[in-house]
Amino acid sequence: MTGQAFFVLTALADGPRHGYGIVGEVAELSQGRVRLKIGSLYGVLERLAAEGLIEPDREEAHDGRLRRYYRLTRGGRGALAEEAELRAATARVVRARLGLAGAEAAG
Amino acid sequence: MSGDLERRYRRVLRLLPRWYRQRWEQDMVAAFLDGWLTGDPETDAYISRAAGPGWAEVASVAGLAARLYLGGAGTPRRYAWGQAVRRAVLTVVLMHAVLGLDVLVFLVWSRRLVGWLPAAPGSLVVAPAGVWDTMYYLVCVAWIAIFVSLALRHYRTARALAALAIVPGLVALVQAQVTGMMPAPFGSWVFWVLLALGPVLAMTAFNRDAPPIARRPWLLALPAGYLLVYGPLLALQATGNSAWVPDFAGLCCILVSLACLAHAPRAWSRQADGTGRWSLTLVLLAAVAGANRIVTLTSYVHDRHLIAVSLAELLIMLAAAALVAPDAARAQTAAPAPPHPSAAAV
Repeated sequence: MTGQAFFVLTALADGPRHGYGIVGEVAELSQGRVRLKIGSLYGVLERLAAEGLIEPDREEAHDGRLRRYYRLTRGGRGALAEEAELRAATARVVRARLGLAGAEAAG
Repeated sequence: MSGDLERRYRRVLRLLPRWYRQRWEQDMVAAFLDGWLTGDPETDAYISRAAGPGWAEVASVAGLAARLYLGGAGTPRRYAWGQAVRRAVLTVVLMHAVLGLDVLVFLVWSRRLVGWLPAAPGSLVVAPAGVWDTMYYLVCVAWIAIFVSLALRHYRTARALAALAIVPGLVALVQAQVTGMMPAPFGSWVFWVLLALGPVLAMTAFNRDAPPIARRPWLLALPAGYLLVYGPLLALQATGNSAWVPDFAGLCCILVSLACLAHAPRAWSRQADGTGRWSLTLVLLAAVAGANRIVTLTSYVHDRHLIAVSLAELLIMLAAAALVAPDAARAQTAAPAPPHPSAAAV
């Protein structure tokens, strides 16, 4: 799973969001490191939808524009949990190798 | 309120395939406008007049378009073109890598970098190179790394290295344009656009959706290509027949012609499956080699003999490409796209 896809799925983990809402949430989650352009976002959304990890939730009119909301599917939730566990396990190994494991436990 | 801004963004979205726009355009426009508009009519009117999609936004849409047009899945036509572009790019990068290997062999031999090799002929021994020559050698050798990265599926590395590798050629060409003197043995504008910039841009066809590259055959093609191309050329030179050595554009025409002739029996055989995408690749390569040959004809305007030879090379290649063209056309309609990108290697 790419970093962008991981952040998009995480942005949808606590509820449905529309396109620009996902962009903002991803920027916040990544502390500004990942700033998705719209072309990149919809590349990721299209791929995630094709893989059955997200699906449309509802549409809402806002200032004359139609916002489509997306939500995680059950498969998407499972894939995100699996990826999060994988990344956490990797991070634990890295921290241990850097001698930071004790610091984490103490902190 | 958002009219002008929306219109500008929709114009950018025309880069995307129609089927994709039907599904996602409204969504993309709404998300894009959400990022710009504030809800205050006066401010929004100003933004709508003054703002537009930035280059990063346009680049993201262009990247998405390249992935959709040249990806692995989709209609047979898109799949065939994607495969043909990837193979054509690999072939052009292979050509650069073979040239790089030749430069490497030349450097190692002429500078006696390997002690046990016999001394190089006097014609191969060169004076210490200047900055531009050194840069040229570095770029040539870098293409070997680019080709290997591509063949090993390290697409990002290959793209980044290739983008860097074409810069010195551009700088040299611009300097030549300004000063009237080419500072290094780099090629012409035609060479740079057709065989450097074009393939680098087309490397966007190597993406996650594309079928994986068959590593082994492509990696073996590097030493094999070197021996097959430079063996005969060296033999011609060693036997005093240098006059028969074609120029670079001619050599490309000859190689594409030979490849078309070698592939033609399979292309005409109804039993052979999946040949059409190779035929399409060869037609693409013939178009590039033909364009290069036509433009380089201008160098020979005062030499009727060389013009005749160059035209003969061009015509022979066109005739050879015509043999595989019907198969290339069939590939776009009849060949089924594999169900999963990993189903067929490039």
